[in-house]
Amino acid sequence: MAQRTRPDGGKPLDRADSGKPAPRTDGAEPLSRPGRGASRSRPGPSAAGTRLWTWLMIPGTLWMTGFLIASLVLVAALAFGTTDPLGNPQFGLNFDNIAAMADPAYRAVLLRSLGYALLTCVICLLVAYPVAYAIALHGGRYKNLLIAAIVVPFFANYLVRMYGWSVVLSDDGPLLRALRAMGFADGDTKILQTGPGVVAGLVYGFIVFMIIPLYAALERMDVSLIEAGRDLYGGPLRTFFFVTLPATRQGAAAGCVLVFLPAMGDFVSAQLMGGPDQIMIGNLIQDKFFQGQNWPLGSALTMLMMAVLFVGMIGYLRRTRKDEAEAVR
Amino acid sequence: MSPEALPPSRRSFLRTSTGAALGLGLGAATAGCGFLPEDPNAHGDPDDPIDVRVDGNLIYFNWADFVDPAVFKGFEKEYGVKVIQSNFDSMEGMAAKLNAGNRYDLIFPTAKWAQRLTEGRRLRRIDHTRLKNAESVFGAYDYFADPWYDARSAHTVPFTMYKTGIGWRKDRVGELTGSWEDLWHRRAKGKVFVLDDRDEVLGLGALKLGLDVSTADEKDLDRITDTLQSLRPHLRGFSSDSYNNLLNGNAVMTQAWSGDMAAMLGQAKDPSVLGFEVAKEGAPVNSDCYAIPSDARHPGTAMLFIDYMLRPENVKKNIEYIGYPMPVGGSEDTYAALVEPFPQCLVGADDLKDELFFRNGSSKGERARDTAWTHVKAG
Repeated sequence: MAQRTRPDGGKPLDRADSGKPAPRTDGAEPLSRPGRGASRSRPGPSAAGTRLWTWLMIPGTLWMTGFLIASLVLVAALAFGTTDPLGNPQFGLNFDNIAAMADPAYRAVLLRSLGYALLTCVICLLVAYPVAYAIALHGGRYKNLLIAAIVVPFFANYLVRMYGWSVVLSDDGPLLRALRAMGFADGDTKILQTGPGVVAGLVYGFIVFMIIPLYAALERMDVSLIEAGRDLYGGPLRTFFFVTLPATRQGAAAGCVLVFLPAMGDFVSAQLMGGPDQIMIGNLIQDKFFQGQNWPLGSALTMLMMAVLFVGMIGYLRRTRKDEAEAVR
Repeated sequence: MSPEALPPSRRSFLRTSTGAALGLGLGAATAGCGFLPEDPNAHGDPDDPIDVRVDGNLIYFNWADFVDPAVFKGFEKEYGVKVIQSNFDSMEGMAAKLNAGNRYDLIFPTAKWAQRLTEGRRLRRIDHTRLKNAESVFGAYDYFADPWYDARSAHTVPFTMYKTGIGWRKDRVGELTGSWEDLWHRRAKGKVFVLDDRDEVLGLGALKLGLDVSTADEKDLDRITDTLQSLRPHLRGFSSDSYNNLLNGNAVMTQAWSGDMAAMLGQAKDPSVLGFEVAKEGAPVNSDCYAIPSDARHPGTAMLFIDYMLRPENVKKNIEYIGYPMPVGGSEDTYAALVEPFPQCLVGADDLKDELFFRNGSSKGERARDTAWTHVKAG
């Protein structure tokens, strides 16, 4: 795979190649590690290499097009459709479903879902940070074991876990019984069918998505930074807030996105832990698909939810780009 | 209390757990096959008579756990075929699977869906004279000889019957008055559940107001929504898992299907603390049917299976297993013995009235009902 055989007659292929003054002839490159052989003497990609990468990109591209873009287009198109008497969705150009979005009921439910998802994010962050910190910086040789202990329960089906959680929170369940025995609750206290019940379900359901990125960020962090902070007479709190926290900000942001998005669209928690006043947007979408068999209206609702999330995501992306720019500076 | 001994209520657990179905639903959507216009006669004329003979394994599609497993075993042994089961958790889920092109030999639609499928020419004609045991149904229950949903029951054979009423904890609330008004009982405040089902909830509001259970009239629907809004402070949730809610104490009162209440009798430690009543304003009734889709690969086996299910000994086993009565002459005593503590679970000939069934509406009507349901649910 010598450079000389390049079909374009040896002209630089890309910017990485241009600007390098020395022509890379075999065996003549001073920086190449000795003994690695002549074929390893190229810092930039060769034509064959580029072709290989192009091929390797195909499965991913197909996957993205097929399962993300195509299905998204399908959902968007269906939002303008109708159904036949047997519930078969029909494509069309019908604005009833879009007009229905103006119904104030949807706005209230959408706002509630946003609120629950945000709260879930904050609680997950507060609970997950100490856990991730303890494991990453003080886990020692038990690190992997501890991470496994957190991840393995999540192998169980989400629904089964949530159903189990609803049993724990039920009126006659172990949690309330214990609280009552300790005098923290009376006979009327309930957790199920309340807002806190739903948020408890969401936190329980998605907290692992917060722990893992935080753990990864903390694990990757250069411990000598903390030591440097201490050397500069920073107390533990000061060091934490001025060194550790900024260094793991990206992990926290990733965790928040990973928790917020599924929490926003979730319907199981509100179904099992919520009551009539805790319905989330996911429940309405689920109803349209599985009870009303009104896929077009379900699609319209999905698009509405995605539009709201999209605006949020743009905000997040702009913010992180600014962060990165600052970090580079 | 062994979990195997008693089936979970068919509409309860699975219906609350549509999570699993989501993947399948999306799968069907992305594959797009649900949208292909299909020629209803692609698999031959649905009116062709079916030869009653083994023509392959039975591909069976029903609510989960709705036939005694011993009955399946007996059928497999007697005819040397396998019963390949799959389950749906709602009528809409069933229709979605059919629309997506899945082929089944035997399905179990409710009355309303039997009518939709019949009108869409999606069901094979069933010649009752070819079924040895059909007389025990059509001879004993006049209503099913010519029901509203399928003229002369030409495409269906009724399977079960049920009513919707109120299940409650006598030890917590005391006696009730036998009206839908009982859901507003002050001692049940904050502990009332209604079914997570559009027709049933709108239906209870309609019956309380003396309206048609299937009304799609905007003014009627507004009155129904207002009535149901006034129930909200009493309401703890929408759930079709009636009997678990009663048993674990989350509910002291719940709208419930009679068959689920009957099935619960065997699970309750002390059934005497529980009650089931049917409102005097009227109780919605419904019926599940046997039906053979027009694209069934093994309709002959399906006919044999229907006939086999109608044998008196199998009817008895199934009634005891699922807790729902069947319109089969001679099975009444079995069911009466089963629901002795809840006599109102019995469904008699005089309970079956056309106006107490949920009916199909126009597409505009269905949309109006959908909107009303959203308002009831979202508050």
